[in-house]
Amino acid sequence: MTKNTKRKLTVGAVLGAMGPGLLAALSGNDAGGIATYSSAGASYGYGMLWMLPVMTLLLIVVQETAARCGCVTGKGLASLIREKFGVRRSVLAMAALLVANTAVTISEFAGIASGLALFGIPASVSVPLVALLIWMLTMGGSFQRIEKVLLAVSCVFVTYVVAAFMAGPDWGEVARVTVIPEFEADPGYVSLVVATIGTTIAPWMVFLAQNNVVDKNSDEDDIVLARIDTVSGSIAADLIAWFIIITTGTVLFPAGVQIADAADAAKALEPIAGEFSTVLFAAGLVAASFLAACVLPGVTSSAICEAFGWERGADRSWDEAPLYRGIITAIIGASALMVLMPGVDLFQIMMTSQVINGVLLPVVLVFQVFIAADKHIMGEYRNGRIWTVLTWATIVLITVLTVVMFALQAMGY
Amino acid sequence: MNYFSEMLRLPVVDSTGEKIGVVNDLGIATGEIFPHVTSLAFQGPGKTPFMISWRKYVERFDDDGVYLKCPATDIRFSYLQPDEVLLSRDIMNKQIVDTQGLKVVRVNDIKFSSSVENQLRMLGAEVGARGLLRAIHPSLEHAVARMAKAIGKPLPEDIIAWSYMDLLERSTKQIKLSVSHKTLDELHPADIADIIEKLDPRLRSQVFAQLDTAQAAEAISEFDDEDLRSEMLEGMSDRDASSMLALMDPDDAAEIIDELGSEKAEKLLRLMGVADERAIRNLLGYEEDTAGRIMTSEFVALPATDTVADAVEAIRKLDEDFESVYYVYTLDPAGALTGVLSLRSIIVAEKTDRLRDLAYKDVVWVAPDLDQEEVAEEMAKYNLAAIPVCDETKHILGIVTVDDAMDVMTEEHAEDLQIAGVSAGENTTGESTHALMWFAQRQYWILVWAIAACAIAALVVPKADSVNAAIGVADYITSWALRSLMPVAIMPIVLLAAMRMTSFVKRSFLEQDDHEDEQHPYLAFFAKTTLIGVVLGGVVMLCGELVGGNLFAEAEPWAAKAFHNCFLAASGVIVATYATSAVYLRVLNWRDEHDLPTSGTALTFVAVVLSAVAFSVLGTLPLL
Repeated sequence: MTKNTKRKLTVGAVLGAMGPGLLAALSGNDAGGIATYSSAGASYGYGMLWMLPVMTLLLIVVQETAARCGCVTGKGLASLIREKFGVRRSVLAMAALLVANTAVTISEFAGIASGLALFGIPASVSVPLVALLIWMLTMGGSFQRIEKVLLAVSCVFVTYVVAAFMAGPDWGEVARVTVIPEFEADPGYVSLVVATIGTTIAPWMVFLAQNNVVDKNSDEDDIVLARIDTVSGSIAADLIAWFIIITTGTVLFPAGVQIADAADAAKALEPIAGEFSTVLFAAGLVAASFLAACVLPGVTSSAICEAFGWERGADRSWDEAPLYRGIITAIIGASALMVLMPGVDLFQIMMTSQVINGVLLPVVLVFQVFIAADKHIMGEYRNGRIWTVLTWATIVLITVLTVVMFALQAMGY
Repeated sequence: MNYFSEMLRLPVVDSTGEKIGVVNDLGIATGEIFPHVTSLAFQGPGKTPFMISWRKYVERFDDDGVYLKCPATDIRFSYLQPDEVLLSRDIMNKQIVDTQGLKVVRVNDIKFSSSVENQLRMLGAEVGARGLLRAIHPSLEHAVARMAKAIGKPLPEDIIAWSYMDLLERSTKQIKLSVSHKTLDELHPADIADIIEKLDPRLRSQVFAQLDTAQAAEAISEFDDEDLRSEMLEGMSDRDASSMLALMDPDDAAEIIDELGSEKAEKLLRLMGVADERAIRNLLGYEEDTAGRIMTSEFVALPATDTVADAVEAIRKLDEDFESVYYVYTLDPAGALTGVLSLRSIIVAEKTDRLRDLAYKDVVWVAPDLDQEEVAEEMAKYNLAAIPVCDETKHILGIVTVDDAMDVMTEEHAEDLQIAGVSAGENTTGESTHALMWFAQRQYWILVWAIAACAIAALVVPKADSVNAAIGVADYITSWALRSLMPVAIMPIVLLAAMRMTSFVKRSFLEQDDHEDEQHPYLAFFAKTTLIGVVLGGVVMLCGELVGGNLFAEAEPWAAKAFHNCFLAASGVIVATYATSAVYLRVLNWRDEHDLPTSGTALTFVAVVLSAVAFSVLGTLPLL
């Protein structure tokens, strides 16, 4: 029983392939992303724009590798890690994923809480209710019904593109600093760089990108389409990030506004939305965070269960898949409790979780690069030299930055 | 030396006591129930892999190493035999199917037993928590096992014997497994379908591709998920798909073909044999969910003048894959149905008896355009294992068998349950609905109420900075807050009434037998529900008067008036809600006719939200 048709590259196929990646990219700018990019613009003006072209390239490398692994093997990254590296190292990888994703989920809850706070709802009310709602949506499997609505609402961040033009930045200057890197030896700057990497290339994206092609049962013939999808998605995601930094860099940085909460970040949208900027920002923040908070616990739990051979899937009951459902419940519960702790700074949580993501990213990438270079697993589709070098460069870069960050903090800057 | 995880990385020492490498992998002979370890793979200096025969060279082994019989120089290396499987490469950490427990699991460790000093047999694959813990660290396993024992829940080993394992990976599929091996293809098709549904898409099509055509045909008709069926068919070549469909019962094949795109369906039909194609096309001519669609053309019908011996002979001559025979039907010379015999009456009768003398004449039959649910009801009513489907001249077109009728019952039951709001997803297994979920699907109106209350407060209660500071700001705002409390407090009545309304609609929908027998079904329903709404609204209004009269008898007149207005709004919304109930019934019927699944919970949710919005507006207006 062989495949009977060879796919052809038509305009329709290409456009169709670009869809999922673009959508994921638009929604990928979740609470942590908005917080990080807004802070970057507000605190350092255009000083961090140079990172985005670099990040786009690295994001494409990582996502393309993930999609290719999925197409060739038909397995998720968690399966591949377990089968190549055995139990012990899988535990390490899964622990890293669990910590990173729980951190992101916490930041999503912080995003929901601060977004709803703009509507005057205190966190102590919104967080338990939203946590219960998310838990029921993920458990009941009815999440798909509202997914599209949330995606649509979270697309309000596209307004940053318009806002950037209305803010009227010096485009020559913007173009210059986008290609010419500058660097500051300030621990805040370094940790913001780590956070930016962590939010652009999050560990969960790697797993999700691979799962998506596996679920579609794409094979080697689909690699070209998967590439188109990842490249267009990565560029779209970073383009929005670029516009966010430009907007906040133009509106907030000269005014000396340091972003301390969501209301400050919303001010960047004032040129376009005026007094409604808060409403617009809050709606987008809540929808994007809610979307990610529904997806993340499932992705995490699914990867862990895949690695250890436990039954998984939203259509499995508590009796059939107790661990799958248990892990989801634990992540949601723990995240909600973290955000509810008295005296936490919501905006700080969003930033910190991106730093954790950045610090743990090399762990996942090391596994990925070894798998993608393995002749037995990948056959003729294994990583080329450039891809391997770029992935290792990312790993080394983040590791060095992490060390620098901690060193600077230890030295008491 | 009981576990493979402990064997790995052990040093390999030759007879001169020199370490020549570390254990890398073990090969087993696949032809036994508890396979012997037959080869030893080890990694020499410089990471060079070697493989040697276990039986020839291994003298003994213990916790510290594997000791060989001869010096390294005398060893001849061997290759992997076709009937050998490598434990680390093919089994450890891989997904396998437990063909006894019918589960897809991952191998955490492999257990051995060493009978004689240098013999090692594989007992089975460890797939439970203990293997996982041991793989992390043996002492962790001991600690957890001891703790589990202490709290009275000892942690058992979960071991799958070699003969109940089916390896899924393609690299190991070429290996010939022993005869005693129970592989996936020996399971019942319904179990195969269950297991395939649990696999990743890629493995799914691989496993499916390994089934022979007859098994694939049976398994595919057992899938619950329609998408999965078309996915499997997409993955097959047209020729394979077509011959598989030809093997299936025509009614199952018709159902699957109907789900495919017309182009693909046409292609597959054309590739079939003429008889199969005609049978399926005939069925496809009938509308979906009717007797014609679910009937099979495989039945036994004989002239009434035949003898019992003829009937037995006819049944004997049937194909092996012919539909189960429950009854023999008798026909008059024109081919019209005249009677029916059970198999039992044929077996006990004399060979020379004429069928027409034994046959039961008052045959129950149905028309091909009858709804499938009613067919199933007929069969239940007359206790039939099969029912003939006839045209106007009583010519038999086919029969509907009891297995199809039971599928219809389950399907319709699940739909009804979903509309009734019992189960939100596809799970109809009962237990799966969590208690909290069950509660949440009914009591979410509290959340709607809270949100609407916030909206009312935002509209009615003035902001502190807009209040003239000369009067007491706090007092002023408090009085407004208390005023807005009135609609907030009364809203639950409206929401509960809306929920009752939808459950009434759902009940009417499930109970209605035939919506064609009434001239204006919706008009009648509208009149009935509006009347109920008016009565209910009136009762609410009167109750409001009663309460308001007592609460605000001596209070300032505006309070009683505001309270009165709220109840007026509530009654209005209730009447309006009940007046629109015909719309909900229409939606349910429409979706049913177009075969769209409807969730009763979603329906109720819409009604509750609509009435919450309506009441928030109406209840707030007098306060502004």
